[in-house]
Order: sequence, then C-alpha cells, then structure tokens
Amino acid sequence: MSTPIKTAVILCTCSGIISERIDWAEVQTLLAGHPSKPVFLVDELACGVDNLEHLAAWLVQEQPSRVVVAACSPREHETTFRKLLSDAGINPWFMQFVNVREQVAWVTEDPRAATAKAARLLHAALNRVQRHEPLSERSVPVRTEVAVIGSGPAGMQATLTLARAGRQVTLIEKEPVIGGLPVRFEELFPNLECGPCLLEPVMGDLLHGHESANVNLLTLSEVTEVKGSFGNWTITVKQKPRFINPDLCIGCMICAEVCPERRPNRWNGSGEIAAVAVPFAGTLPNLPHIDAETCLRLKGEECSACLAECPVEGSLDFDDQEREYTIEAGAIIIASGAEEKQDLPASFANQEDVHTAYSFERLLAMNGPSGGELLKADGTAPKSLAIVQCAGSLDSSEVSYCSGTCCRAAAKYAHLASGKVAGISVSRLVREQSFPGVDAGRQFHHDHSTVVRYGAFSELTVTGTESGRNIMIDGGTTVRADMIVLCRPIVPSAGTAECLSLLDLDRDEAGFIAPLHSLSGSCATTLKGVYLAGSCRGPGDIRDAFATGTAAAGLALSDLVDGRDLVIDPQVAVVDATICAGCKTCIQLCPYKAISWNDVEKVAEVSDMLCRGCGTCVASCPSGAITGRGFSREMLRAELEGVLS
Amino acid sequence: MSCQTLPTEQTAETSSANVTPGPLRIVAFLCNWCSYAGADKAGSNQLPVPSELSVIRVMCSGRIEPPLILEAFQKGADGVMVLACHPGDCHYKEGNIRAFCRAELLQNLVPQLGIDPKRFRFDYVSAAEAEKFSRITNEFVDKMRSIRL
Repeated sequence: MSTPIKTAVILCTCSGIISERIDWAEVQTLLAGHPSKPVFLVDELACGVDNLEHLAAWLVQEQPSRVVVAACSPREHETTFRKLLSDAGINPWFMQFVNVREQVAWVTEDPRAATAKAARLLHAALNRVQRHEPLSERSVPVRTEVAVIGSGPAGMQATLTLARAGRQVTLIEKEPVIGGLPVRFEELFPNLECGPCLLEPVMGDLLHGHESANVNLLTLSEVTEVKGSFGNWTITVKQKPRFINPDLCIGCMICAEVCPERRPNRWNGSGEIAAVAVPFAGTLPNLPHIDAETCLRLKGEECSACLAECPVEGSLDFDDQEREYTIEAGAIIIASGAEEKQDLPASFANQEDVHTAYSFERLLAMNGPSGGELLKADGTAPKSLAIVQCAGSLDSSEVSYCSGTCCRAAAKYAHLASGKVAGISVSRLVREQSFPGVDAGRQFHHDHSTVVRYGAFSELTVTGTESGRNIMIDGGTTVRADMIVLCRPIVPSAGTAECLSLLDLDRDEAGFIAPLHSLSGSCATTLKGVYLAGSCRGPGDIRDAFATGTAAAGLALSDLVDGRDLVIDPQVAVVDATICAGCKTCIQLCPYKAISWNDVEKVAEVSDMLCRGCGTCVASCPSGAITGRGFSREMLRAELEGVLS
Repeated sequence: MSCQTLPTEQTAETSSANVTPGPLRIVAFLCNWCSYAGADKAGSNQLPVPSELSVIRVMCSGRIEPPLILEAFQKGADGVMVLACHPGDCHYKEGNIRAFCRAELLQNLVPQLGIDPKRFRFDYVSAAEAEKFSRITNEFVDKMRSIRL
C-alpha cells in the first residue's frame, strides 16, 4: 500500500445487538497493525440523532481523510453516514460501509467467528477506502416543458394534467384532428357511454379551456428527429400544410359541400370524402384540411369551387407550406397508440360486408358512413352478424398474445347491433374469452349473442349460399354471417414504430415500447426522460389510456421541477479517452443507451445523465478504459485482497 | 494433451495445491438489489451464513469482470460465488445475463488453469430468498471444506 491515509473507523454496537456477537475491542486489536493506522470510536447507536452530532464533532476533531463505518446494512444507513461526512467537512464518497449486523452478527452463532469475520471485512474496507476518490454530485438545469406525441385519450390526459400544473406542453398529432381512435366510436365498453360525450369536453379543455394557453397543439405534424437527453431534449417536428388558415376559418364546411373531387375516406375504412373536408362530423379542431393529391387547384388545374363559396376571405390558403419546428423540452411522453393488424386472411379478404372492429365501430357511429344505421353494402340490414374474436390472436402463426379488449368490444357490438336491427341473430366466434373488471361482468351476463367456440382462425372458411352466407368451422359447424366483424389483433401503430426507431427505444416481444419495468415502471422507459402513456405500451382500453396519461404526466412532473436542478449521482461510468480503443463493445451493452460514439475523437463517451451506474460496461471493456466511479477496479481489488489476507 | 482432455474434476490433492492452509476463504460477489438484499434478509431472519464467507457488494452482477474472479483464486480463495438477480428481475435489465454468460465462460476456463470448476459457483438469489442464500452459501462452503480435506 502506498502512503497510508488517516482513517477513522466508527464501530456501532447497535444498542448491544452487534456487540453481543462481535467483540469490538478485539477487532481494534486485530486491526491495529493496518497500514492506515486507523483511529476507532465505538458508538452505542451511531444512527441516533445525538450520536450523529457527537460523531460529527469527533470527525472534525480527528480530521481523518477517510472513514469506515461498521454498522447495519448500507441499504439502510449508507446515506445517513454520507451526510455525516458532509456535515464534518469530508467528501461523502470517502466512506466505506461495512455491514456487520445483517451479514455478520445476526448470521454467525459463534462470537469468535463473528469477531474474526468483522475484522476481516473491516480490513478489506480499510484497504478499499484508501482508493476512494472524492466525488461530487453534478447539478444540471432542466427544462420543465414537455412534448407529448399523440393526441388520443392518453396523450390528451397527459397534456391536460401537465397544463393544469402550469407546464408548457407541445402536443404533436400526425392526424388533422385530435382525440385518437375512441372519439370516432359511438359508444364505449363496458358501460356503453357515449364516446364523443366523454371526449369532447376533454378536447374542449385542451383547445379552449383555462389550460389551453399552456398547450401548443401541432396537428398534421410528425417528429422527425430527437436529440439530447433527459432534461434537455431538442425535438424537430415537421408539419404538413393544412391549406386552411386556422385564424380565419370558421369551420362552416361549405367548402366540403361544394368541392367536386373525392378521395377514399380512410377514417371510415370505407366511402369517400371531398378533397377539402373533415374526416367526420364533429372533429376538433373544427377545421377542414385539403388533400394536396386530390385537390384540382393544388394539382395545378383550374378550380375555384370552394374559394367562390367560402364566406371568410383568406380562410383557404393554397400557398400554405410545410413548416419545421424545433421544440425544446425536458421530457417526452409517447402516446402514439396501437392499431388493429391491417392485413386480412385470404378467406375473408375481398368480400362484401366483412368489417374489422374499427370499420364496424365507424358503421355504428352516427357520424359514420351510414349515419349510424347498420347496413350492408347493398343498403339492406343484415339478418345475421358473426363477430369473429381472437381473429389471429393466441395464434403462433400471427400474434401469440391476447389483445385483452376485443371481448368487451364484441359484446358491445352484439348489444348495439341487436338494438339497431330487430331480430338480428348475433354470434360471437371465440377461441377464449376474457371480461376483466366488475363492470365488464355485466356485459358478459347480458350478452345478446350465441357464443361458438373454434380452434384455429385458419380453420374458418366463408361459404356463400342462396339463402345467405355462413362461416364454417373446421368440423362442420356453420354460423350465419350476413355481416362479419373480424376482431384482428392489436399491434403497435405506425407512429409507435416510428417513435421506437427515432428514440432507439427497446421494444417488447410484440413490438410495443418496452417499459422500464413491466410492473413497477410501466409508464417509464429505459431512456430517462421518456415516458409512456396508453397503448404504445401494449394493447389497452380507454381506462388504461386515461390512467397512464395521468401517470406519465406525474412522472414528468416529479422528475422535472421548476427551479430544481437535476442532481446527477456521481457513481457513474467514465471512459478514459486516452485508453479507449474504439471497439464500441460498451455501446451495445449499455441497457440505458448512456454510451455514445464520439466520431471526432473516435472514442466512446458516457452520459452521466443517462448512466445508472450498473458497471456492465466497466466489466466488459476489453481495454479497461472504463472506470466505475465508487466501484472501480482498484477499489474492488483492494477489497478482495483485504478479505483474502 | 489437448484441451479437451484436461480434467474438469480434480482430486483433493491437485485442487488444493494452490491453496494455502488455514481457515477457508470464500468470496461472494453480490448485486446490491437482489442477492445482497437476500443476504440482508437472511440476517433479519437470523439464518446461518458461514463465517468463512466474505461478501463483496457491487451494484450489479454485470459489474464483475472474469479477471476479478481469477484474481480471487490467485490470491488464495478456496471458492468464489457470484450471486445475481433472477433472469428478468435485474434492476439494470440485463446485467445478470452478462454475468451468466461470463459464468459459463469461467466454468470452462478455470479447469484450464488447474482450478476445480466446483470452486466457482454462479447462482440467482432474489431479495426474498433469505433461505436460499443461507442454504447455498452453507452448501458451497461445505463443499469447499470437503475439497480441502
């Protein structure tokens, strides 16, 4: 050992509990010859308030350079004694804690063996603490603004929760309208509440409420780049032109009525809308948008149909351009949602009156393609409705999981269809059923449908006869199916997939954004300062969306507090640029993406803001270029040598 | 002799050749969040833990580099344990998986250095598994004692 450094050792008796097994006098004798020439103080209960004052005075008097504390578990009182060192004017990281209560006194019957073990562990601690470096917590100012991606229920709830707390929020939505999927649904399971009635007040608050001053809503917008880290993100957003001046347009929709051009209505999954239109009645913001690929004038042809009728001059803005915004935010909440799996299996594809759950929701909606009437393509009402659940779920050839929402949706469809078409026969074809929750139990017990079990989705075939259409289950059972609804698996939305790649986040086995922890951190990600709300986390219902929107906002609020800097734990990994060989092994290993490549210096760099101090990179660096502060190679070797001496 | 023919099991005589006599010296590297917490719980439950066992706490089992284990043997450890969070439970997501991979490597490597692979043990101990911590540390120390005899 090089020059010994004066070390003070505090030996706690824990009110006699430790000293019952460990003879502190004997330990002092055994350690007397240690090169650091330690000075000892036995304290009856070192964590006691008065005792800590006394210990601080002793440390001030002794002026040691290092301190070893032998007491209970560091998981209980390490922080207490770090503070003691600070109070005594000593760098708090110049301390090593020895757990002689839980891991010696309480587990060693023989006092002689316990005393010898305590001396051995203290010897190791004395060795280790000589190698400790002074560390200090770094403070970084953080921005308290938050960017929310996606304006479904989860994103809106997160935005409003933050805005109500006075936070500035940028809400980024790629659609021309807000509200996500359920604003397009007429009634919501499990209690058949009116979707727009539930969501319109939320959207109203967002657009016009007291908090709306704190919300910057960007519709028709997508995030194209994210840079920075927790507390200081820079987000680039591209906004497509709406070709409507939102400050002038009064939302009368006369333009849509007179527009001569039509495009497919992708929001309904069927039918057409005008080139200038809203996707469906009652959208918010109450503004149409123009589809540049359909509008004759934007294609360079002669047309002034809308211009001629628009009552507010300047509302239609054919010179509108794509805009780019740079958003500075401390945190990002992803609420980019999920969608139904888009493809249809061959047996159901290209047939009339085959709906997915989404297009059926639109068919049921008053502002949908048929004004809420349940009609087939030929304009007549179906005599039978077959709702195929688990259509591709629980199936190793498609998705292996249960989406968890379809049963409740399907029971709702059965209920609503029975109300709309007198005498309709409704069947639900299921592989398994799940109606979780107290209120969903009512749906289950008041179901209007005949439940038919089937084995595999691939066994189902559609057969047409003179008297109508049937679904045949392998084995011969047939189910009347004038109209078919397929409850396809819920998969990550395109927006969720984009967020995953933009932020290089971890994905779960189904392609959703992996949470920090499946149970205790389901609204956080491994990337600090990026939170999750709604079904980008996995299939969920509206209740989940609102709850997790609130939760994600809560995490952002508690992590980013105005006037409170981000305090960074100094026990992080540090790369020695003079040793780093540039192999990038560490970059791939870091579970928190805290290590990046410096292309100028050709070395790896650790962001102390993102590093959580696990030390995986330290152990993996082939050059030994990475030091784990607080757990350096030298410290661990010194400790090892101590326990083996 | 090819590497395949090196014995993976050794006699007491050969295995103790590089071990100095005296009390058994067993080192256990424990991760802070699961196995160290499990060891603390063994203490709270007053379950026996061998006095020969010396625990070195690290934040994550992924912090332990194989050279440190080899160094423990060089410095005279009779046995070395690395105890980690169960798969899927790692506080740092996957450090325990790194530790597991390195343990596989070490199991194959140590016989090449004349060390009985039984003298190295990798296992999982959760924060709740006080009993398991007590049991496996006692088993391991007993085994090391029998190897020494």
